[in-house]
Amino acid sequence: MTFTTTVETLPTMGRYNLRCKRENTVALSKSLGFDLPSSIGEAARSGTQSALKLGPDEWLLTCPMEERATIRQSLTDVYPEAVHSLTDISSREISIRVSGDQAEELLSTSCPRNLAKLSTGCGVRTIFDSVQVVLMREGDRQFRLDVWRSFAPHVLGLLAVACAEFESGL
Amino acid sequence: MLLIDCPYCKEKLPELEFEYAGQAHIARPEHPAEQSDAEWRDYLFIRSNVRGDHAEQWRHTHGCGRYFNAVRNTVSDKFIATYEIGQPRPTVTKEGEERDEQLES
Amino acid sequence: MNNWRVDGKGRINRDKRVRFTFDGVSFEGFEGDTVASALLANGVHLMGRSFKYHRPRGPVTAGSEEPNALIGTSRGGSGRFEPNTRATVQEIYEGLTTVSQNKWPSLNFDVGAVNDKLHKLFAAGFYYKTFMWPKSFWDKVYEPVIRASAGLGVSPAEPDADTYASRYLHTDLLIVGAGPSGLAAALTAARSGVDVVLVDEHRELGGSLLSEAPTAIDGKSAESWLAETVAELNAYPNLRVMTRATAIGYYHENMVGVAEKLTDHLAEPPATAPRERMWRIRAQEVILAQGALERPLVFDGNDRPGVMMASAAQTYLNRFGVKVGNAAVVVTSHDSAWYAAFDLADAGVNIAAIVDVRASVSEHLQAEARKRDISIKLEHTVTTVLGKKRVSRVKLGKVSEDGNVSGIGTVSCDTLLMCGGWTPSLHLFSHTKGSLHWDAENEVFLPGEKTERCHIAGGGRGLWSQQAAFDDGVHAAQQALASRGQSAPALSIDVDGDRTGSGIIMEELPSNDDKFARRAFVDFQNDVTAKDIRLAVREGMLSIEHVKRFTTNGMATDQGKMSNMNGLKIAADELGRPAPKVGLTTFRPPYTPTSFGTFAGYHKDALFEVTRKTNIDSWAEENGAVFEPVSLWRRARYFPKTGEGMHGAVARECRQTRASVGMFDASTLGKIEVVGPDAAEFLNRMYTNPWSKLAPGRCRYGLLLGEDGFIRDDGVIGRISNDRFHVTTTTGGAARVLTMMEHFLQTEWSDLDVWLTSTTEQWSTIALNGPNARKILEPFMEGADLSAEAFPHMALRECTVGGFEARLFRVSFTGELGFEVNVPSEHGRALWEILYEEGKKHDMCVYGTETMHVLRAEKGYIIVGQDTDGTVTPVDAGLSWAIGKKKPDFVGKRSLKRPDMLLPTRKQLVGLLTEDPNVVLEEGAQIVEAGDTAIPAKMLGHVTSSYWSETLGRSIAMALLEGGFERNGTSIDIPMPEKTHRATVTGTVFYDPDGERINM
Repeated sequence: MTFTTTVETLPTMGRYNLRCKRENTVALSKSLGFDLPSSIGEAARSGTQSALKLGPDEWLLTCPMEERATIRQSLTDVYPEAVHSLTDISSREISIRVSGDQAEELLSTSCPRNLAKLSTGCGVRTIFDSVQVVLMREGDRQFRLDVWRSFAPHVLGLLAVACAEFESGL
Repeated sequence: MLLIDCPYCKEKLPELEFEYAGQAHIARPEHPAEQSDAEWRDYLFIRSNVRGDHAEQWRHTHGCGRYFNAVRNTVSDKFIATYEIGQPRPTVTKEGEERDEQLES
Repeated sequence: MNNWRVDGKGRINRDKRVRFTFDGVSFEGFEGDTVASALLANGVHLMGRSFKYHRPRGPVTAGSEEPNALIGTSRGGSGRFEPNTRATVQEIYEGLTTVSQNKWPSLNFDVGAVNDKLHKLFAAGFYYKTFMWPKSFWDKVYEPVIRASAGLGVSPAEPDADTYASRYLHTDLLIVGAGPSGLAAALTAARSGVDVVLVDEHRELGGSLLSEAPTAIDGKSAESWLAETVAELNAYPNLRVMTRATAIGYYHENMVGVAEKLTDHLAEPPATAPRERMWRIRAQEVILAQGALERPLVFDGNDRPGVMMASAAQTYLNRFGVKVGNAAVVVTSHDSAWYAAFDLADAGVNIAAIVDVRASVSEHLQAEARKRDISIKLEHTVTTVLGKKRVSRVKLGKVSEDGNVSGIGTVSCDTLLMCGGWTPSLHLFSHTKGSLHWDAENEVFLPGEKTERCHIAGGGRGLWSQQAAFDDGVHAAQQALASRGQSAPALSIDVDGDRTGSGIIMEELPSNDDKFARRAFVDFQNDVTAKDIRLAVREGMLSIEHVKRFTTNGMATDQGKMSNMNGLKIAADELGRPAPKVGLTTFRPPYTPTSFGTFAGYHKDALFEVTRKTNIDSWAEENGAVFEPVSLWRRARYFPKTGEGMHGAVARECRQTRASVGMFDASTLGKIEVVGPDAAEFLNRMYTNPWSKLAPGRCRYGLLLGEDGFIRDDGVIGRISNDRFHVTTTTGGAARVLTMMEHFLQTEWSDLDVWLTSTTEQWSTIALNGPNARKILEPFMEGADLSAEAFPHMALRECTVGGFEARLFRVSFTGELGFEVNVPSEHGRALWEILYEEGKKHDMCVYGTETMHVLRAEKGYIIVGQDTDGTVTPVDAGLSWAIGKKKPDFVGKRSLKRPDMLLPTRKQLVGLLTEDPNVVLEEGAQIVEAGDTAIPAKMLGHVTSSYWSETLGRSIAMALLEGGFERNGTSIDIPMPEKTHRATVTGTVFYDPDGERINM
């Protein structure tokens, strides 16, 4: 089988870490214009914006860089009645996209999770080698890894070596 | 490598995502200033060293990020139950304690 | 080729000849040969020398359990030599270079063999007893000599040139071993549709089917049945077959480590292919179908080349088409060796005799032997083996009922095949701490209570015949599926002409010779004899664990695969106790020797571990920085100009910074965003300092203790807005502090409305320090007035610097006017370059961590982890001012009142000025009372930080010193090997004690 899976670094995207208690999710959802997902690992989308639930009180909001101010403003407006934490982490992380027929197996070189259980559209925080990542399944054969900036070269290095290994056919 | 059932993620996940965080059910005294030296010593340093089922705190560090409690058997290493912070320790059967130790070395 | 190959036998590819070398001599074999089979085909049995006695040795097995035939292999080029490769496993390929081991000057003539003559000196426990005295001999004589002569093979001297890989795999069912049981299990499970992984250590599937003379299976020849079965298995999309893949360890929750060899059999591996891959396979159910290993018999000379396991000879014949000799004697306590004898006889080997220690053997076997004109010697034994580098004759004896042996003369032969019965291979099962129970009737350990979802099939359960193995494999698969709530259709595989049999287990073979004079080997690899084990018992080793450590039985790289049971039987015999009461030593992973590379996987060279770099790091590299590791980060330590060493560079960087301005990459500082209505309250509880009254736009030094009252971390904390704080931590403490905060927040104070987010990598942080710092920044400011009045020390602003959104702090870690600019990470280098250009107008330098350390030490600013060591309180460190006295509580507060924390004799942080200003003390040096020359002297403390201060033109140091505050102004001594240095105890602030420079 010819190896055609690719690894690419994505341009900077807007990212917020959103935290709040359960009782305030309704107000925040209303402000955002879409419902925050309620189960860990689930994502919700509205246009160019999305929210991935990472923990019981934690969501990763993503949007184009230029839409960050809109999100910030709408959530700041609702803060008095629905307290929360909104922290810009756009620059904290680098996104890596892995796509192709062997994307899942390529990731299994360093990810101990059973990736077959990660459904399309879902994402989790997990570990890749020794590096904490947020791993999303964008499609049957497409994944995105969000990695803290200084760890990205290590992850990319591992993926490059793994790609060479897959290309060797052994 | 163990699999650990995160009570928040509701999934059995690889041990590599988790970290041990000490013995469970040791509450910080409400008013430390009122503690005698002996009481405060006990809070700081005195821990049990169980052979068998042990209540522990763990954190799903590289996952949902939450601390939770667990009952784990120190002989078999295995997790017997996991539960959210603030919940009482569940009653569980004492698996593993009667195991044949002839192969220990 | 030569007359050791047997026409029409074996699974080697006779169309493809392969040349390789052994000890410089070129040999020819066929594709599919191992080094051992190819050498045997060339009539070579002598393949190595033993570990301790340097006795000549040849292969005793044909598999991964081989203890004797260990060779060095070169895979070509530097860094590709491997010692202790088992010749019985290594496949040959064109150009393979191999060498024998443990010999000098040559395999045929070895000087070290004198050890064999002196064997009475080298009994068990020899090392412990002999090298005790005189004490002075240890490092000069004993250790060098032992190191030079001990050890197996030669360690590789160059870094491994190959790459290694790893992979996680999740499956419903993992089957370990592809012999009859494993194949039957795989067929059953694969047909039912579950995901199956089948692993086997050999190059092809089949296990014992490859080694045994053809039976008929389902009406076909075994060979065709196997070919059809392999084809069927390979066609299942739900089944993955891995060959050359050894299950080396069985870990918790059905995780099995499998080491797969990818290139060691290839003359020209693909360029980027890894050599080996470690699979971590997590299976819902595991079937262990690893079979059984044939046990050697223990008798004088049982290690001579030409003495071999009967089943090994059968494998060499049926799998490799090699006859291991022309005239063989068979000695056995089990029926299986009779079949081996028949196979060899049918291939033209003269079987001189079958010597069986048992009194009765089935009439069927005896008839078969007679049919082949084989002499049958029941109730007989082999008492000794003659011939040194190859068996030439064996002495036989008749065993009477009382155990007495009467010699009946010798028989000439070139091969002696032995069989002491079969030991179920339960190594992996033992890794799980599954219990073994003693089957007294058959005298074997069998699997008992399980701790994992595993099933054992075939030889591992003591079953011995193809039919039984097939049936058990099917049964194991059905069981595995049943425990998943699934059922599998019955599958019956019918064997015609099956070889069934049984046997007994012996200690040493009976002999009238002195038990303590016989060279009867139990552990071939570690040269442990039966005598050694008996001696260990006589010297008081009552447990098998002690016997093992005293004799080293079972401690070699074969992990006792051949020796454990024999060792146990002999120890039990000497102790007069039944074997299960003496116990069995623990099997530990790996099952077979596994290269370090396989465990390391991708972690070598640049990927050995994570190296974190800031956005500005690339500029530092381009500008000649010398780096140092700080936790996982690599940080610029100093920036030498041409011809400058570290000392010169640091002195210049210090001078320029104090005189004008210096720029420093502080991006690695930990940063935590603390947000929520209870943010200030949370920080009140965590840090010693008060936070409620800190106004937005201001910052403050924060000190963090553990609950035990000792300093854990520190950093500047800024209030961005009422409900938002920007907390900084030390570089190394970032993750630790966030973890500690989350722990308290989640488990103790879940009532607080506050959330924590790591922002370490959100920001690049550039520090500007020095009287001209403001001039560098001012041209690029938007939205903030930098004047001392508008933006005083410890102020912060959200603003724009150089066009980038920024958080600007006015803080100082040097005692100079200082600013720290935080901009989104990806813009760090761009801003750095802008400021660097501006700096050229003001004689600005860039400096690294070394200058940072000197400048802060001149001001007495501590580094947590250098000037503190986890036993230092804020009072000890002279930081009492940082404790919010009015706060009712904070983490660690109560501990500060514990009696020991109040003692005046605690070690306290002080400054030291050496009498000789040119002496820079060594960090870590111990401190004693002035003039104390007693040995041992009382240690009063140690130097924590010590530098040459260019600013002051002399050395400075800080130290943790017992009762240090009280000693201010007195002298202490720092004894060093070359001389004792005297120093005066001072305060820790050496420069600008009034702090005027910070407010410029």
